[in-house]
Amino acid sequence: MALTELPQLQMGFRDIQTANTGFLPAPPPSLLTVVLDTNPHAWELLSSTTGLTLSNVVANLLVFINAHLAFNHVNQVAFIASHVKRAVFLYPTPPKPTPNTNTTANGSAPNGTDTINGTMGDSNKYRPFARIEHEILTNLRALISSTTTSTLRSTTTTMMAGALTTALAYSAKQSVLLSPLADPISAGQDATADYNDGAPASRRGPPLTSRIMVVSVSGDLAHQYISVMNAIFAAQRQKIPIDILKLAGDTVFLQQACDATGGVYVEPEVAEGLLQYLMMAFLPDATARRYLVMPGGGEVDFRAACFCHRKVVDVGFVCSVCLSIFCQPLSDGVCLTCNSRLSLAGAITPAPALFPRKKKKKKRIAGDGTSGASTPMQGVTPGPS
Amino acid sequence: MADSDGEYIQDEHDDDEHDLAIDLDDEEEMPTTSALSSRSKGKARARDRQPRRAREAWETTAQRGKSYGVLKEGADGRIDGDVEREAERRKRMRLRQDTRPFQRGIIRHVILILDLSEAMMEKDMRPSRYLITLRYAAEYVREFFEQNPISQMSIMGMHDGLCVRISELSGNPAEHVSALQLVRHGRPPNLLPREPKGNASLQNALEMSRAALWHTPNHGTREVIIVLGALLTLDPGDIHTTIRQCAKDRLSVGIIGMSGRLKICHEICAKTNAGDDSSYSVALDQQHFRELLMATTTPPVVRTASTVSPNTNTTSTNNNTATPASLLKIGFPSRTTSPHPSLCACHGNLTRAGYTCPQCRTKVCALPATCPGCDFTLILSTHLARSYHHLFPLKNWVPVSWPRAAEVGSRACRACLGAFPDVPAGTGTGTGMGTGTGAGTDGNGNGNSGRYECGDCGSHFCVDCDVCCHETIHSCPGCLS
Repeated sequence: MALTELPQLQMGFRDIQTANTGFLPAPPPSLLTVVLDTNPHAWELLSSTTGLTLSNVVANLLVFINAHLAFNHVNQVAFIASHVKRAVFLYPTPPKPTPNTNTTANGSAPNGTDTINGTMGDSNKYRPFARIEHEILTNLRALISSTTTSTLRSTTTTMMAGALTTALAYSAKQSVLLSPLADPISAGQDATADYNDGAPASRRGPPLTSRIMVVSVSGDLAHQYISVMNAIFAAQRQKIPIDILKLAGDTVFLQQACDATGGVYVEPEVAEGLLQYLMMAFLPDATARRYLVMPGGGEVDFRAACFCHRKVVDVGFVCSVCLSIFCQPLSDGVCLTCNSRLSLAGAITPAPALFPRKKKKKKRIAGDGTSGASTPMQGVTPGPS
Repeated sequence: MADSDGEYIQDEHDDDEHDLAIDLDDEEEMPTTSALSSRSKGKARARDRQPRRAREAWETTAQRGKSYGVLKEGADGRIDGDVEREAERRKRMRLRQDTRPFQRGIIRHVILILDLSEAMMEKDMRPSRYLITLRYAAEYVREFFEQNPISQMSIMGMHDGLCVRISELSGNPAEHVSALQLVRHGRPPNLLPREPKGNASLQNALEMSRAALWHTPNHGTREVIIVLGALLTLDPGDIHTTIRQCAKDRLSVGIIGMSGRLKICHEICAKTNAGDDSSYSVALDQQHFRELLMATTTPPVVRTASTVSPNTNTTSTNNNTATPASLLKIGFPSRTTSPHPSLCACHGNLTRAGYTCPQCRTKVCALPATCPGCDFTLILSTHLARSYHHLFPLKNWVPVSWPRAAEVGSRACRACLGAFPDVPAGTGTGTGMGTGTGAGTDGNGNGNSGRYECGDCGSHFCVDCDVCCHETIHSCPGCLS
């Protein structure tokens, strides 16, 4: 056997090879942003019906976050709570603003406290895990205790759009911080051609792979439609998958979000196995997902809902000014949302001319030309639209 | 084309003109392409020193060369603050200046005409104008269909006095991109050789666009965007007749020049846009060219008979009828899968999955599409949602001065928790650091406190979040929470 075939020496040669080429390829840092829906109404309903409480879910999420951080030394995590009227960061803790209305010589002295005080519990715990857990729990308690009953009474929806937007901005900023020279806007597309060569920066691969994980318990939010869709398209553009863990409530927007961004949508049937769902379905990051078969992939309903009745429509009438969808052509030609006069020429298909049937006793009226502002008859073949 | 001239040498009064150049550098917010405005600025400055001959705008530009921006020293003699401000200024220059909600034409039919004449072999843009144009055209196609998913586009080229069609009018971006690749590498029947040749003919281009857009429906816009590198147009007939015809057919033409400003281009744009020639611009350099090209992906403002035009502040008397607001019948098919493969109507391929037209049950592969069976427009609701941010744009955020920053006391960006620079000591009643204007912001409108405030919710953001939220996300995180 030749000397080079000994396994130890082979490994040695391989090390020399990698040392010559530069570096061992390591998986890129991965940012996980968890958006937790803390709508108290929905949680109350959920815990009374299934017994799954917010503290259960938070405990499971903490284990999940620890697992994500354990994967890679440089992984990062952020935690955002989507509350009744606000979306706040639970981790990293946002520093409190320090307004000083009087001019002092030392204007930059921080008045508020940044650090989370208090003991961190078990000193045998791995310190980064303990620190994150402590911050999240402290901030969550502060958030819940600062919610007033008047706020709760005023609305029952949660600020999912705000949480998603904040998560996207945070991910973008973290990407910029890791590669300050790359153009953040075109990081996901072809970058602008450089002066000398046309090689886009994105060919090297993104410096940070981000993903957003949403734990949702509330239903759909019609008045946040535009903001949620904007967030979905922004995530699609920056190639950030949005994963959804649906514990209660039904929403079509979030399903479309998963489908559009390539995320995972799971509605667990057995609530006790929550941690298992988290670990199996949501833990792999974008690079691992290429080689795994991810759950979900059900039918996604892309049909539109009309603005007037919230019915799902196959054929809709769209105002060309404000792009709102209606199920029937409007009787008076005025759009409901933008109040502009619309010409109904494109919407109404005239009934084709019918020959009067002499054999029938009832005289059928020969319809020709436009039939006014009525919907086309069901049995008539539609004319050219 | 001849090579560019040698360096322009000034005749007299060197040192004073040098000061003049620096002043003009500071005052300009972005490179102005309109010669009119910079000429007036040049004349206003020159009028102060009456005995000297008034300098034309092109003279000061040629002397200045590329305006890199002159760095100024701060109060403590350092320039790194100024360098940061330059970087911030460049980032924010991309933001849309006007965020008033206008009615915009969402369904667009755009013809992109590229100049493939000999003037494009000029190497003032790297590697050559021709290659840069093709590269940017590919990026433009992708960006266009992302911003306007229910629109259609066609690409043509002005080559050797003729206008050749590079791709047909369609809503599929892959088709256009592959057609552009063919232009770059030549097509088998050799209809279009690789190199540009001959002269450009604007009349042929306009006639061909008019023919292509003839049968497009009334509720969509009809636009032509011409990229012109040549300084002449060689036409077979009277171009003014063509221009009149185009205006009558509701075409609206925009031109991006690469060499210089031409009277005929000005006339084309003015006549087809009801007297407003803001759609004619000349690129100063490569980056500017790209910005001008990408700016046309924004849907155009629809002009009615008596609106005040946003740019020129004059009431435009419209001789071409504006797009009437109408109710469109559109289908929203759902995705269906069947156990047995069947033919799709658009390509004739055997597929299992597809979208069925709600009117005639024909199967198509991809959306947005026009049903081949009944000519019905088929889209997904998400395609409509993509255009919402044009109709409801996010308002620009205001740069925050140091006194205001001290008043609010924000220490980190609301969206990304990035730390802000600390408010310097002694700020309260002062005017801020380092700049002359009283508001604490420099002349370009960039707050030197690094904070940007949303007018509605009052939260402070950093410059990266500013650019990100306005370019990509189109919502304010503060307003939504």
